Amino acid sequence: MTKPLEVQGLGYRLPGKGKGETGNGRLLVHEVSFTVGAGETLVLLGRSGSGKTTTLKLINRLLEPTVGEVRVAGERAADLPVTRLRRRIGYVIQEVGLFPHFTVERNVGLVPRLDGWPPPRIATRVRDLLALVGLDSDTFARRYPHELSGGQRQRVGVARALAADPPLLLLDEPFGALDPITRVELQREFKALEGRLGKGMVFVTHDVREGLLLGTRIGLMLQGRLAFLGTPDEFRRSEHPECKAFMAAA
Amino acid sequence: MSLWDFYARNSQEVLGLVGQHLYLVAISTGAAIVIGVPLGILLTRRTAWRGPVLGVANVFQTVPSLALFGFLIPLPFIGGIGATTAIVALVLYALLPIVRNTYEGVTGVDPAVREAGRGMGMTDWQLLTQVELPLGFGVILAGVRVATVVSVGTATIAAAIGAGGLGVYIFRGVAVVDDTLILAGALPAALMALAADGLLGVAERRFAWRGK
Amino acid sequence: MAGEVRGGRADGRTVGLWVLAAGLLSGCGHHDRIVVGSKNFTESDLLGEIVAQQIERRTGLSVERRFHLGGTFVCHQAITSGRIDLYVEYTGTAYTAVLKHAPVVDRDSVYRTVARDYLQRFDLVWGKPFGFNNTFAITVRRRDATRHGLTRISDLARLAPRLKAGFGYEFLERADGFRGLASVYGLRFASPPTAMDLGLTYRALADGKVDVIAGNSTDGQIEALDLAVLEDDRHYFPPYEAAPVMRQAAITRYSGVAAALAQLAGRISDAEMRRLNALADVEHRDIATIARDWLRASLP
Repeated sequence: MTKPLEVQGLGYRLPGKGKGETGNGRLLVHEVSFTVGAGETLVLLGRSGSGKTTTLKLINRLLEPTVGEVRVAGERAADLPVTRLRRRIGYVIQEVGLFPHFTVERNVGLVPRLDGWPPPRIATRVRDLLALVGLDSDTFARRYPHELSGGQRQRVGVARALAADPPLLLLDEPFGALDPITRVELQREFKALEGRLGKGMVFVTHDVREGLLLGTRIGLMLQGRLAFLGTPDEFRRSEHPECKAFMAAA
Repeated sequence: MSLWDFYARNSQEVLGLVGQHLYLVAISTGAAIVIGVPLGILLTRRTAWRGPVLGVANVFQTVPSLALFGFLIPLPFIGGIGATTAIVALVLYALLPIVRNTYEGVTGVDPAVREAGRGMGMTDWQLLTQVELPLGFGVILAGVRVATVVSVGTATIAAAIGAGGLGVYIFRGVAVVDDTLILAGALPAALMALAADGLLGVAERRFAWRGK
Repeated sequence: MAGEVRGGRADGRTVGLWVLAAGLLSGCGHHDRIVVGSKNFTESDLLGEIVAQQIERRTGLSVERRFHLGGTFVCHQAITSGRIDLYVEYTGTAYTAVLKHAPVVDRDSVYRTVARDYLQRFDLVWGKPFGFNNTFAITVRRRDATRHGLTRISDLARLAPRLKAGFGYEFLERADGFRGLASVYGLRFASPPTAMDLGLTYRALADGKVDVIAGNSTDGQIEALDLAVLEDDRHYFPPYEAAPVMRQAAITRYSGVAAALAQLAGRISDAEMRRLNALADVEHRDIATIARDWLRASLP
């Protein structure tokens, strides 16, 4: 069975100043390789600027990799039309990025609509997804994002990412902007969801407690490299100085 | 002669000039929208062109109308004397606010919203038509509003190139030092500008998406 | 501009003389300078500068220039209130715009009436005219004039139905403008004349967008754009002769000014004024230089 995500030798260098010059810029991601199986959550942990968000954007090609290969559900990402690739990858960001002029319903149904699903099927799907993330469809479907709390907005964000049933989900500090109580609540629900969904997930955070709670494996990023890759238990026991620094902060 | 006597005696002529004035403003603003909005959108996709294009649009604004007419008279198709030349000049004056506001309306969309749209696999066209333009509509409409109000005022100079409009009364009034004549042209032009401002202001509030 | 002009002349010796002269004049308890104004167009500035330099070189008086003041109304206010001592006015303008008489075509009677009324009503003295008559000039392209044998406005009547006219608003509105002209000469153009800015009519004529315009007979563009002025053979247009207008009080105070200005009488023909205007408007030469060169050549 093909894995939701395979990353091999991924690298990214900022474009140089001059035209046609590549490789002059700063190296942001270097030699990153990992795989994510179905039902698995890889947490990319690291300090600010360590390259975790960049790695995420290289996967859905919001940034184009300088070197290396990304396969999503067995297909080479570089060979797919970029819009088709992205519609197969759920994407959740810290700022949520809900469309403010769309209702919750239209926001969640966005990717199915782009893919041309028939409207009744979209409606059913939206109802199911809202239920999945703990929002009552009758109450919330017709609301606009500015009528929601921060936690409700991020639930809608997760529902939107799941809408077209993608094999892979990328989450970039999805709970980073929430208040501590809502945050813990969403972390707990997300933990419960992970097993049921059976999707491959890459979850970026700088919060080591969140990472240890939600990750089936931890990838620690340091200066653009994957400094450590292993289970949460292995992470706790690791002698790597950066792992120890993070554990000390937990 | 009082202004009201003047209007009473020349009602046909006044209506004709008001009609010409509206025609000049409507055609020129319409053309400026048709040119300016796509141009503004283009600049959001080719940001390197922004400086030069806005610079040129800015320069048009500073060219005195009589000088601009002078340049336009010898040109084929868009030049000569009469309404065409006046409309070309009015379009050039109206471009800057429309191009600039289109650019600002589109680029002013929350970057997180744009990233989410792209990240979920929207094409550039889908992002533009479903997200950026609807969200930037209010700002774009504000540019159209400024352009229209300015055009109503500027269209009075069409009278300098034989294109008629309310400027005819103003030019005649200035030539013979007759305040009533000047007012007869300036007053309806001012009312028209206020009306355009009000109507487009209402449209702006009605259609523009509001929220946080 | 005035400062520039004097600065240009001020080598060490003349500065000394100016200081001496200024001291002498103020010592006599009089105003130490005569103030010359002009209207807000090139020809008026040129004539103002010629008058100013003529006074300077013939009387040694110091002249203060207040040029480009505004239209007829502003200059008239300025001179009757004593803010300026002298400016150049046109007989026809004074006759119709200031004295509010109906237009009359006879040069001498207009001048006599204007001179008499100004003295009685405003204590202002008209000097002798410079010689040219800056009236409306019905103008066509020289090419067309040659091809169709056009020399007089009456020649235009038979061609008019095939021609387009473009006129400035002033010409269309004034009592001595288009309506009277059309009825005196029986002009019927292909379509009603296009009303537009006067300056743009020259360009429209040169570019073939219109065939007939009404310029001013001394405009520099007439030669520069190779245009031909048609003769007013039925003497429709009233005279617009330019002449210096001075405050009576200034003439008695500054002896020699009247004599200096009298030397300018009849010295500038229509063609000569057109040439001077073209130097300023077409070749963009400095007005002070044009005036100095003209004075040197014409009144050495």
